[in-house]
This record gives sequence, structure tokens and C-alpha cells, in this order.
Amino acid sequence: MEARLTGIDRRVTLQYLQFRGGVVPEKISTDLDRCEQRLLAAARPRALWKLFDRLPDGRLAGTVFRPLGGDVERLLKSSTQVILMAVTLGSEVEVLLRRAQVSDMADAVILDAAGSAAVENVCDNLCADLAELLAPRYLTDRFSPGYGDLPLSQQAALCEALDVTRRLGVSLSESGLLIPQKTVTALIGVSAQPQPKRRGGCNACALAESCQYRKDGKDCGKA
Amino acid sequence: MLDGGMGTMLQEAGLPVGVSPELWNLTEPEKVSAIHRRYVEAGSRVLYTNTFGANRYKATRCGHSPAELIAAGVRCARAAAGTGDIKVALDVGPIGQLLEPLGTLRFEDAYDVFREMVVAGEEAGADLIVFETMSDLYEVKAAVLAAKEHTKLPVWVTMTFEQSGRTFVGVTVPAMALTLTGLGVDALGFNCSLGPKELLPMVRELRRWTDLPLILKPNAGLPDPVTGAYKITAEAFAEELCPALASGVHIFGGCCGTGPDHIRALAQSLAGKKAAPRAPADRSGVCSATSATAFDGVHVIGERINPTGKKRFQQALREHDIDYIVQLAIEQQDAGAEILDVNVGLPGLDEPATMVRVVKALQAAVDLPLQIDSSDPVTIEAGLRAVNGKAIVNSVNGNEDSLEAILPLCKKYGAAVVGLCMDHNGIPQSWQERAAIAGRILHAALRHGIPRSDVLIDCLTLTVSAQQEQAVETLQAVRYVKEELGLHTVLGVSNISFGLPAREHITVNFLIQAVQAGLDLPIVNPNQSAIMDAVAACRVLSGQDRDSASYIARFSTAAPESHSAPVQEKDLSIRQAVMLGLRRETAMLTARALETRSELDVVNELLIPALDQVGERYEQQEIFLPQLINAANAACEGFEIIKKRMARRGAVSLSKGKIVLATVRGDIHDIGKNIVRVVLENYGYTVIDLGRDVPPEDVVETVLREDVKLVGLSALMTTTVSSMAETIAALRRSGHVCKIMVGGAVLTPDYAEQIGADYYAGDAKQSADIARQVLG
Repeated sequence: MEARLTGIDRRVTLQYLQFRGGVVPEKISTDLDRCEQRLLAAARPRALWKLFDRLPDGRLAGTVFRPLGGDVERLLKSSTQVILMAVTLGSEVEVLLRRAQVSDMADAVILDAAGSAAVENVCDNLCADLAELLAPRYLTDRFSPGYGDLPLSQQAALCEALDVTRRLGVSLSESGLLIPQKTVTALIGVSAQPQPKRRGGCNACALAESCQYRKDGKDCGKA
Repeated sequence: MLDGGMGTMLQEAGLPVGVSPELWNLTEPEKVSAIHRRYVEAGSRVLYTNTFGANRYKATRCGHSPAELIAAGVRCARAAAGTGDIKVALDVGPIGQLLEPLGTLRFEDAYDVFREMVVAGEEAGADLIVFETMSDLYEVKAAVLAAKEHTKLPVWVTMTFEQSGRTFVGVTVPAMALTLTGLGVDALGFNCSLGPKELLPMVRELRRWTDLPLILKPNAGLPDPVTGAYKITAEAFAEELCPALASGVHIFGGCCGTGPDHIRALAQSLAGKKAAPRAPADRSGVCSATSATAFDGVHVIGERINPTGKKRFQQALREHDIDYIVQLAIEQQDAGAEILDVNVGLPGLDEPATMVRVVKALQAAVDLPLQIDSSDPVTIEAGLRAVNGKAIVNSVNGNEDSLEAILPLCKKYGAAVVGLCMDHNGIPQSWQERAAIAGRILHAALRHGIPRSDVLIDCLTLTVSAQQEQAVETLQAVRYVKEELGLHTVLGVSNISFGLPAREHITVNFLIQAVQAGLDLPIVNPNQSAIMDAVAACRVLSGQDRDSASYIARFSTAAPESHSAPVQEKDLSIRQAVMLGLRRETAMLTARALETRSELDVVNELLIPALDQVGERYEQQEIFLPQLINAANAACEGFEIIKKRMARRGAVSLSKGKIVLATVRGDIHDIGKNIVRVVLENYGYTVIDLGRDVPPEDVVETVLREDVKLVGLSALMTTTVSSMAETIAALRRSGHVCKIMVGGAVLTPDYAEQIGADYYAGDAKQSADIARQVLG
């Protein structure tokens, strides 16, 4: 299944930039155009996924990975199988971001946000493709280490189960960072029953801990 | 004939999930040997030991040292190989930690990891060393150097490519070939990645760049996307792989999805056949990890990274402002340079250490091959070691001392070398004498084992206003070296016009004549568009630029906006220009203001108040982050003009005080810290940016050495806030009195207080406020 980057949602980019609404200034709008083009040109999106049986003890068959926490428990309530997925924009985007941080910080900030929007787009496309492939079964929302009470420390087990270093060129630093940084890993339940599209709220958001909206006592409007 | 896959065989033999395969070398040696034996029976003549991940990082997880796992692994293979002519290869895979600049593992540390493994392998009796499944050329270089410097064993390397023709980190086939051939490996090729069919085109590319034996150890086709299983049969595998013989491959094996059956089928199909005789490699050149510049026509070497006669550059070197240098590199690449000369020689500066720092920083942002420019062999070696790819050394001359000191380094690290046509008697006046020196340099290079194609001759440009007759001599020497010696040539061009008015005409004309005479690699300032225009035209006329495509692209898109867009400066104040993020306008208005006011005035009464206003509007949420940074960048243009003026005068800078910034150990995402840096610099502070993944002791050492009163620390993740706390504790323990501000995605004011920081900086604007409070 090909990784597909079909576009960068400007609204998502602006959200990452903590744009507070109103009209986007013309110069910024031009910058956004240019940065989106650069990002699309540099990105080499890649996706990796694998379907696992879920054993009675919650472990994924053939691995040592047992996702922890009440949130995953609820998410996978009726799932007999679980997909592990990983999506990355590739090292070229990483280099682009580093380079921009030397030559133009404003571009770097926009590229960073647009990169996050782009990797979400690839994830969304992959999930849509998987839903089609696995029909008539149903997929849950995707859920990543660090969301809710699924600990970030389980990133290593997830990465190992997927063999992301060898098969995707993604590595996990000792402090738990995924490199390239525009990379997403997640699990998805596969169930015979229709799954509610949850508006997960802040608990289901990767940015929950660092969200400026939350720090300001507000929310982003999606929660 | 090599062997096939090991991982799946171990699983079939009962290796439990989650157990390191290498552990079985110690606990189940019989089962490991049995697998090796099955490969021997199938026809393998080289056995890879079961030591792919037996490195320091992975070995500790199973409670044994790399040496133990490796000794046991070699024993298992040797037991199957017997005493005949079957070889045991120490198998070494990637470390699993990403190297700098993408990751945090330092080149020197990777070298150490590999050293430990290869020494253990040789002691255990391996016959050769194989580094396989590699995707990072820098990691391979560390591995090969470790093997070459600590063992006598032959070294083979295979890397893993995607269908795009690149590895995961972007390494290309030519870059792999040039770099590894230069480093002196004994055979190279591909493993894993793809099936035989997909790898064949890459084999054909590879052999154009190297004369070394080629290895092919592919997967059993492409895996089924749903089940992950490999589907092609042993016979189909053998059939698909056989055409590689005609492409010059003569070391074969299998990787994922292959077993003894595949090897048997392969051995049968190849039996009695020989690899086709190969034409010698017809491509040469130099490369970064991700981009090669072939020696095939005119290519520009950018000369700007050189402190000679440049006060601003010298200041940047002294202040460790590496980003200034990286910026010069990016500009040159954008202007069309294809190789970058790197010279950091400045009296009083530790040249080797600076060279390493600059080379590494350049590699993180620019993908051009580098030319290490120094007269000091220690600096040259330090630079060559740090380079990712194949570099050029600039330079040797006809002196015996120079040749004997520097040519061995070029040979060891596989660098091309520039030979200057001069010796202890100086620069000869006649072209014949210069040509004679070129011949001597060539002879010495060949004697040291450096291939002819890596010898680049610089016939030396003299200033035409001082020695008019010399221009013709230089051109004639170029012609001779190119035609009679058959060597590629280099020439610093700009020097020709020194001392004359309207220099550009002379420089461009000389450049064109030199290209006509046989110049391949002009060393120029690519930011001068007249020079690059001339190069573009030369490439059309010589046929190098097919269908004039590059030429057309250059001139059809070159909108004149950046040169002649009218600036509405009359209607604009500096404050407005900064607010709107208009860089050129801010620069011009600053220059204008400096005609009537002092530097200090312009900074304190115009630029800083403009920034303050922007900051306020940001706080009021009237503007958002990109606008704040645009404004800071615009102000930066103004500050840059002031810095240059003061550097020219030799005046002390206007700094309001020093601030150390660092993203703490374990954290490599430093965009937040970099935003803060831009803003603080534009408020007139001197920022010592220690970068990312900075150990506490480096922060303490810098703070003490530079007597810094304000430190800014950033951490992105909950997991790294603990190293922030450690850094703060280390600073307090040092007894040095300084204030500490912290920031980063997961921090809050409470958290900041809890870990002992003095200030919490929620954003770049707040950090500037704190700096003002602490430093004034």
C-alpha cells in the first residue's frame, strides 16, 4: 500500500502555528504557499503497517508489545485484531527543516507546522485505504503512544514490532524521540462491529501536553 | 557464494519472540551451527556469523558483552565451515541509533562501537568483516575506518536501497561507490531492500563508479503487503538473480525470505559460469552522502568559506557563530556552486577542531561535496575524517615535504587532491615549468596509490595588472595539463582582475578562456551572477547542458524582482519596515540612518523600539509567530549592517551581554530554542548557541569560561525535562552565579520552579523580557 501525501490542509497548519483567527496576512499567506510547495517537493512519504491478532492477555501475537492503559482498553474493547502503523515524511524533510532553521527561522516555523499537517494527511489516507482493504470489518480511530494514558515508553515496543528502523528508516532515540521528527506511529483496532468516530478531546491528541491553547485555558476548537 | 537469511531460520528453529538472536550463539550454539551447516550443504562458501546486532547498545539488553556474543558467533560459524576453504565473515549490521546530524550518536562514538566489534571478530578468528544492511554512509565510514585501523581483515560493505535509488537517509549509488572505493573496502554492493529484479538497475549504475568486486544479496522479491511473506520460489529467485552475472556481480547470496533452498538453486544456476569481464568504471568525481559531482565538464567550486580578508567571517569564527558560515554555504549552493571550499585558518584559533565543527555543521544543512582547504596536515586529516562522502584536499604543491605529508592522507581517506604548480622556488614563470611540477605531483600521487582521476591540477592564476604576461602562461599550462597529462584542472579565477577597475569583465573573460583551455573546476564566488551566467553559457556551447535545459531554466525564471523591485522607502519608517518583516527595506533604512546617527543610536532608538512594539503586539495576540520572526529577521538585516561596519572599524561589538542557549541532552528538536536565539540576537545580546543534545558539563564549562550571567535551556519532551533538571543542578553546583531561564513545549511555570530554574519563558518575547531584566 503506497503512502499517499495528497495535500496539506492549510487550516491544520495554521492551527499548529497557533493562529488566532481572522484574516491571514498577505505576506504570511505567500510564505505558506511557498513553504507548502517546498515541503511537498522534499517529502518522500513512506508507510508501514502490519495486522496482528490480539491475544487474550492484550499482547499482540508474535510480539512482546502489550499496549497499556484504560484508553486503549476502551478503544479496543471489541477488536480482535490490531493494526500497528508508522508513517514518515522521510529524512529529506528533516534536512529541509534543519536547513531552514539556519537560513530563515520564519520559514522553519511554517515548514514545521506544514510538515505536521502533511504527515497527518498521509496518516488519514493510509487509514482510509486500510478501512477499504479490511471492509466489511471496521477500524477504530488511531491512537499513538503519548496519547491519553498510553505511555510514551511503549514507543520502543511498537517500533520493534513493526521493525521501523529496518523497514522505514525511522529510529527511536534513547529519550523516546522518533527521527525523522515528522513521523507518526499508531495502533488501530479492527472489529466486526461499527466503531464510533470519537472526538477524542485533548486526551486523544498528541499535542495535549504541549498545547498552547490548553496552557491559555482554551481549546483548539476540535476537542 | 554467500548464505541466505538468518532471522527467519532462527525463528523456525524456535527462537522466541523478543529474544536477541545473538544470545543463541551462547545458549543454543548447536542450533545456530545447524543453520550454518544447512547453508554449507546448499553451496555457501562464505558464512555470515549470527552477530548482526551484537553491538554495545543491543548486546547490553541480553546481558552479555559484544565480545562474548561475537566470539560465540564466530565459533558457531566455524564449526559449520570446518577447516576447508569456507570462509567465516563477521557480520555487522547498523547500530540502531541514528548518527549526527539527523540523530544524536556522534561519529566518533559510532567508530568506537564498531571498533569493539571488529577487534572481537578478528580475535575470534573471523576471515573477513561484512558491514551490511547499512543506509547511512557516515555510519559505514565509521565502521570501515574502525576495521581498517584496528584489524587486518578484508572489509566488505553492502547497503540497503529503496526503489527510488536512494537509501532511507538519501544516500545515492554514486555516493556510496565513490566514498567506499576511496576508503579502500575490498568489495561492495547491495543487500536486503528489494528483490533481484529491482536491484539490477542499481548494480549497473554502481559498476560505472567503481572497479571493485560487486556483491548482491537481495531479498526474495518484494513482500506481500498484507502478510509480509516473501513469495518467489527458490528457482524464480535464482533465475532473477542470474542476469547480475552479466553485469559483473560475482559475489551472490540471499537476504530476507531466502533460505538454503534459494542458495542451492542459485548455486546450481551459477555453477560453471563466470562473471562477465567488466569495462573499467567510466565515472569519477566527489560527493557528499546524498549528491555526487562528477568530473565531467565544468563545475563550480564556491570560494566564500574563507576568512582571508573578511572581518565579518573572522568575527564569526572567533565567536563560534557557525550558523553564519552555514548560511554562506546555503547561499552558494542556491547560487549554483557544486562543491564548497572550506577554509577556517585564522591565527589564534584551533584550526583542526574548528574544521571538524564546521564540516559537521555544513553537512547538516548542505548536500554538496566539500573541499578541505588548509596547509596543515593535522587539520586536513581532521577534516577528512569528519567528512561524510568523498572530499577534495586543497592542496599539495611540488615540494617533497608537502607531497609526503598530505598524499598519504588523501589515499587513506579516499580524497581527490588539488596540486598547485609551485614548489620551494615559488611559482615558475613559464608554463613549461609549471607543467613539469604538475607531472611531478601526478607521479607522486600515483606512487601513493591515488588514481589519476583524483589528481586535480591548479596552474595558478596571477594578477594580470601586476604580471600581464602571466595570464597566457597560466592558460597554456592548463591546456597542457588537460591535454597531455589528461588530468582535471582547478583554478582560482577572481585573482586575475585584482587591482583593475570593472574587475568583472576581466574575471569573466579569463574564466571563459580558461574553460576553453581545459578548466574543469573554477573556484569562484558563485554569488556574482555574471560569473555564473558565463558558466551557464559555456555549458551550453560545450554540450554539457543538454538541450540548454539548465540555461533556459536559469534565465526564464530569473525574475528581476529581488534586484529592481522599487522600494517605497520614503513612506516607510524603520519601525514599519521591521513590523512588516521587510528585510531589504530595513537594511536600506538602517544604512540611511547611519549616515546621520551613531550605531548605538540606531540600535537603541530605532531597531530595538521597533522590535519592542512587535513583541507587544505578539503578546496582545494581534500578530502570530511567523510574523514575530519575520520582524526579527528584518531587524537582523539592520543589525548585520551595523555589525559589518563595526567589524571593519575593528570596534568592539555593541553586545548587551552574553547568553548561553542549549537544548538539553537527549533532545534534538531545537526549533523553539532557535526562535529564541533569533529574537535575543536581534535585541543585541551575544548568544552562544550550544545546539541540541547538549550534556550538562558542556553548559557548565561554557558558562564558566565565558563568564555568562544568563542561561536559557530548552526541553521538548517530558522525558528530557529530567536532563534539564540535571543541567540546572550542575550549574548550581559549579558555584557560578547566573540566572537560568527555561522553556519548551511541556514546561509550565510550576514545573520550572520545581526543577530550580529562575525564570519560565513561555515564548521568545518573554525570553527577551527576562534578558532585559537580568542583563539590562
